[in-house]
Amino acid sequence: MDFVILSLVMLGIGIYGLLTNRQLLKVFISIELIATAATLNFVMLATSAGQGLGQAFLILAFSTDTALSAVILSLLVIVSKKYGTSNINEILKMQENKNSEAE
Amino acid sequence: MILEILSIGLIASACLALFLDEVIYSVAALSGTFLFTALLYYVNGAVYAAIFQFAVGVGTLAILFLSGEMLSEKSAKKTSPKKLSALVGAGLVLSLPAIFLSISSSTGVYYNTSFGNALWHLSGVDVILQALVILTVALGIAIILYEKKGEK
Repeated sequence: MDFVILSLVMLGIGIYGLLTNRQLLKVFISIELIATAATLNFVMLATSAGQGLGQAFLILAFSTDTALSAVILSLLVIVSKKYGTSNINEILKMQENKNSEAE
Repeated sequence: MILEILSIGLIASACLALFLDEVIYSVAALSGTFLFTALLYYVNGAVYAAIFQFAVGVGTLAILFLSGEMLSEKSAKKTSPKKLSALVGAGLVLSLPAIFLSISSSTGVYYNTSFGNALWHLSGVDVILQALVILTVALGIAIILYEKKGEK
């Protein structure tokens, strides 16, 4: 059982989801998966070496991740309320229409 | 054996979280991902990490459920059982390399540090600085919301 490969697979799934999903919330879920993959790798390597340092850094990483999640979610809510949709393609199209009308 | 089952569950729930059509079900699958991660930490002896992962996961999921309900558009598109089983199968296949392959080496210099020592003596300044950063972020969000309310 190799946790490096496990976290690599998780990272791959997260990046694939980030590139293919067009829903804002799914993009956020992909970012969460990438963060989980990174912390999984870090903690597993540290605990297999018998250190508490990995767990201490995990707590720091999680605090940052949670603050980041709060900011991303608030931005998602603002954007989806402004444009009335959470689809990235539709938002981009609306923005293009708005720009061409302004010109 | 239990590690293998947990890793299969982790990858399968990650696949479900990303590719299910309904956002609420995706968030429910993400809760499975967090739960399996916490169990993996626990089984490997990282008890503090498991508890923290579980607590933060529950908080994140509560907010995600609320915003998912708010942001998701009501579509008639439902995930078919065929797609569901295909996603679980894909998760099973993707977790096979982690079970059967190995690239880690056990060589290295290890320093045995306890969790409390690592958190407060080695990275105590980081903890305080990070608390300040998070407090600033929270204050920033509160000020932006207050100003927006004032504009209305």
